[in-house]
Amino acid sequence: MFDRPENLAWLILLLPLFSAVAIMLFTSKLSKLSARISIAAVVASFALSLVFFVLLGQTETIQVPAINWINVGTGPGALSVEIGLKVDHLSLLMMLIVTGVGSLIHIYSYGYMQGDRSFSRYFASLSLFTFSMLGIVLANNFFQMFVFWELVGISSYLLIGFWYEKPSAADAAKKAFLTNRLGDFGFLLGIIMIWGLVGSVQFDHIQQRLATNPGALGVYSTLAGLLIFCGAMGKSAQFPLHVWLPDAMEGPTPVSALIHAATMVAAGVYMLCRAFFVFQATPAAPVWFPWLQGVSALHVVAWIGGITALLAALMAVQQNDIKRILAYSTLSQLGYMVMSVGLSGPAHAMFHLTTHAFFKALLFLGAGSVIYAVHHEQDIWRMGGLREKLPITFWTFLLGTLALCGLPPFSGFYSKDAILGNARHQNTGLFIIGVFVAILTTFYMFRLIFVAFLGSSRSEASSHAHESPRIMTWPLIALAVPTVIGGIIGIEQFVGKNLGVAEESHVAFMDRFTEPFNHAPLAAIAGLGAVLFGGLLAYALYANAPRDPLPGMIGWFAKAMRNRFYFDEFYDWLIARTQGALSNFAQIIDQWIIGGLFIKGIHGTTEFAGRALRLAQSGSLQTYSFLFAAGAALLLFLFFKT
Amino acid sequence: MSILTYIIACPFVGALLVLCVPRNYRFVIRTIALSAAFLSMVLAIRAFAAFSAGGGYQFTQQNNWVQDLGITYHVGADGLNIGLILMGAIVGFAATCMAREIKERDKEFYLLLLIMTGGILGAFASLDLFLFYFFHELALIPTFIMIGVWGRGENKNYAAFNITLYLTAGALIALIGLIALYLTSGARTFDIVAMTAYVKTHPISLANQNFIFPLLLFGFGILVSLWPFHTWAPLGYGAAPTSTAMLHAGVLKKFGLYGLIRIALPLLPDGAHSWLHVVAFLCLGNIIYCGLVAMRQRDLNLLIGNSSVAHMGFVFLGIASLSLVGVTGAVVVMIAHGLLAALTFALSGYLYQQTGTSDMGKMGGLMRPMPFIGAALVMAMMAGCGLPGFANFIGEAMVLFGSWNAFPLPTTLAVWGGLVIGAVYMLRAIRAIVHGPVVETQTQVKLTDAVSLWRKTPFALLIVTLLIFGIYPSLLTDKIKPAAESILAMANGGTVVPAKARISAGSAAAFEAKSAELKTH
Repeated sequence: MFDRPENLAWLILLLPLFSAVAIMLFTSKLSKLSARISIAAVVASFALSLVFFVLLGQTETIQVPAINWINVGTGPGALSVEIGLKVDHLSLLMMLIVTGVGSLIHIYSYGYMQGDRSFSRYFASLSLFTFSMLGIVLANNFFQMFVFWELVGISSYLLIGFWYEKPSAADAAKKAFLTNRLGDFGFLLGIIMIWGLVGSVQFDHIQQRLATNPGALGVYSTLAGLLIFCGAMGKSAQFPLHVWLPDAMEGPTPVSALIHAATMVAAGVYMLCRAFFVFQATPAAPVWFPWLQGVSALHVVAWIGGITALLAALMAVQQNDIKRILAYSTLSQLGYMVMSVGLSGPAHAMFHLTTHAFFKALLFLGAGSVIYAVHHEQDIWRMGGLREKLPITFWTFLLGTLALCGLPPFSGFYSKDAILGNARHQNTGLFIIGVFVAILTTFYMFRLIFVAFLGSSRSEASSHAHESPRIMTWPLIALAVPTVIGGIIGIEQFVGKNLGVAEESHVAFMDRFTEPFNHAPLAAIAGLGAVLFGGLLAYALYANAPRDPLPGMIGWFAKAMRNRFYFDEFYDWLIARTQGALSNFAQIIDQWIIGGLFIKGIHGTTEFAGRALRLAQSGSLQTYSFLFAAGAALLLFLFFKT
Repeated sequence: MSILTYIIACPFVGALLVLCVPRNYRFVIRTIALSAAFLSMVLAIRAFAAFSAGGGYQFTQQNNWVQDLGITYHVGADGLNIGLILMGAIVGFAATCMAREIKERDKEFYLLLLIMTGGILGAFASLDLFLFYFFHELALIPTFIMIGVWGRGENKNYAAFNITLYLTAGALIALIGLIALYLTSGARTFDIVAMTAYVKTHPISLANQNFIFPLLLFGFGILVSLWPFHTWAPLGYGAAPTSTAMLHAGVLKKFGLYGLIRIALPLLPDGAHSWLHVVAFLCLGNIIYCGLVAMRQRDLNLLIGNSSVAHMGFVFLGIASLSLVGVTGAVVVMIAHGLLAALTFALSGYLYQQTGTSDMGKMGGLMRPMPFIGAALVMAMMAGCGLPGFANFIGEAMVLFGSWNAFPLPTTLAVWGGLVIGAVYMLRAIRAIVHGPVVETQTQVKLTDAVSLWRKTPFALLIVTLLIFGIYPSLLTDKIKPAAESILAMANGGTVVPAKARISAGSAAAFEAKSAELKTH
């Protein structure tokens, strides 16, 4: 093992799986031990990922021997799938996020979930999730990625529905899984289509094929790109499949932090970056898709991202549940990332993904700490004045908020600026949307801060709140560090090595703070202006406000925002009219036409014949069957005897 | 003697012994039945392990039976049936374990169950057409009796009548097809191996092929609940005792599919080519239509029955594709679905025993009182909607990949059926049965989880087997592949050109050539 250090990569992937299996089979009754096994596994994976960080150095990829998984056929039409590990800058960055942020959240959970009667099941699911997520990250082919993609889906299902006795949690889990399945439908179809065209599911093969011949996907290139994007739409909750993410907040808060903020929902963006070569194929569409002519898949991706960012930010403005505000904010930030991929800036997207993982995990864990302190109250209008009572939570939460809003020198500023700077060059419409979303972001986040943390207590629970135990506060402090400095440590340059960003940064360390203002001044100034404007607006409306003044000011629009623009209602209606109606129709046909007329018809005739024959026969099934077999044998015998 | 003979003989010997034991020695009867099924399973595992991939027919044994007609006792296994035999033996044992629910006339039940198990294993191991059919009938007849006598629900008699009618009709049509095949091939033998070799050099005439193939297709199709001949299945399984439903839905139903692959495809290649595009669309009736019907069921047994019908669509699609990936995938689905159907019916039977109902509206929150059964149900439902890790995913994915080039549109719809519709009803079942608060009607009933190792065995056995094949699919695919290859070599060797690939590497190459041409101009 030690002469081949690259084989250690398998351990990174498998340790969490061992932990999940061990907990399920052996330690489910020993909750403390289960938690320790799970934490040890993810921390060990993190440590090994750091080893690979050193090993990788300047090389592009580390070759890890793969396992042949399915191998059927040769030549065209053959399916050969391996389980391999692709360790390069892109996957390593993601591994560090998943295991690093994951470690902190595992540890935090040890405090937060204390006393839950399914403590072991919680950690087993968490380990299963870590395993599946690492599988997506390390996959070297589409098929393997899809396998782990689905496993992430089921882990998420198990964790959202962790408190399955609560009908709302059970429903949310179901909704999340089904919405994801809609996206996966496109994803799998896209994979099959690309396999049909190129003859391989291996990333390297497809990439090489497309590099030598950008037209290799023929007239299906746009369609293939869009189908692959469907997968990301489901997992990263992009419009119109965004509806599951806010409901997913029914899961325990650390789960929301890990899965529905920092890692799993980022998988869609990661997949788009990993498979970016598909989108670089020459756009073309078959003639029977007239509306796709002349459209490139990236264009659609960018606009979907932009629309998601805008819609989600608007919805966030009128939410009152602290976790839901953060959930919509996550949607909105994911929209930024997807938009950036669509604007041919995957490295910027990965940069924002990374900083977002830090500050959003921090914000969610902070929200968890608040919820823990005020006895599971989630309505911000029943909090207030928590600054003095939860000092560590407050200050770290504030750092996270500033990073999310994009105030320099916090990490979020640099990554958001990279996206806006790119948008500024590529698409003015999306740039304007991006800046507007930045205003909204600051507005709703400071609304949250002003209402929940500042002012005076609004409820009994919040006036008696106490700071959370140390096991929960120190992950907050640990996450606050990268939240602050994440923007200037060269993440984009690191991941850019695999994403074709040629520019090597030679900027001196101290100059990196101000680099955006030299590089793309308009975008940087617009971003900064948005923060200040949004912040001032929030101050004017919400500083010491007894209740929300916004509904009185914009009336029905506030109501629409609070009701998420009625997407859920619309979908319910649509599903009832289409799939529901079809299903009713099929049921009726089955019961009355096929099962009814058809069979009753035969039944009737047979019954008649039966009555006639009853004179000679007993009518018992056994006799019938026996005579039938005997008759057949006799016939055969007579036929050949002659 | 071949190991296959022992595998088949075990249940029959068990049946004979059961016959000799007085009926009040219930423990002895049950022990004999379990030992016979267990021994058969162990031997099947041994045979599976000893099987060498790509070695053609193995463990063969041939004895003369009816010499005048060329009927022999000929058994053997290649990649196509070795997995099915293993699956059949495992399900046979699990079904015998579940037979403890039968309290009345249990001697006769065990007797029939063992005959059924032996018949199924015999049908899969036979390499003689007559033997193949004979064993199938031997397994089929106990099915009818078991539903009629030990069945449940008010629809019991109608269901038994219905299933008898359908399956007898199917078997009869298939028999006519087989007789016609025997007569027209001119090989004058019932031996499948000899017949295949003969037909390879003396193809059956096109007119005869086009006449015989549909007979086999619909005859076998009815046995497999091909749409629109599927209504017997949910109804019959809903009324059947647990063990019978497990064995029939899991194993016996695969007989028709096995017959199609083993006999119809290689012997009637031209007939296959002119009919398989019909199958590619009929199978959507299974996957989409029956999936939609399953969405509307309130009764767990009917839901599982419909879902089982829906899954058969994937096998038909794989067969219709006539591609190596597709047919290999179809065989994997047959094995995986056999295990899964047995698992779901076993769970449903257990729940019925405990709650006294199979109406999902009257269940709820069962995860808390029955954690083992609840977890097993979640796993079974997830396997049913194609979760990777279970063998069903491998098979279904391979079918979809394999059929894409030949039938892009049906494949697209099948992906929808598998990923979306399947998930809708499976998750609905989980939500209704194990999630949510405990329903009031259930609080009065005393619910016992499967706690003892003995009670857990059938469930754990089936789940573990599904997981093993799901995680390590080459165990199956490496064995199936060579057999599927030789069958496809014959099936695609007909005079008709195979269905042209529409969206394939070929068309991309054409596109490249076209664009290169455009550039030069």
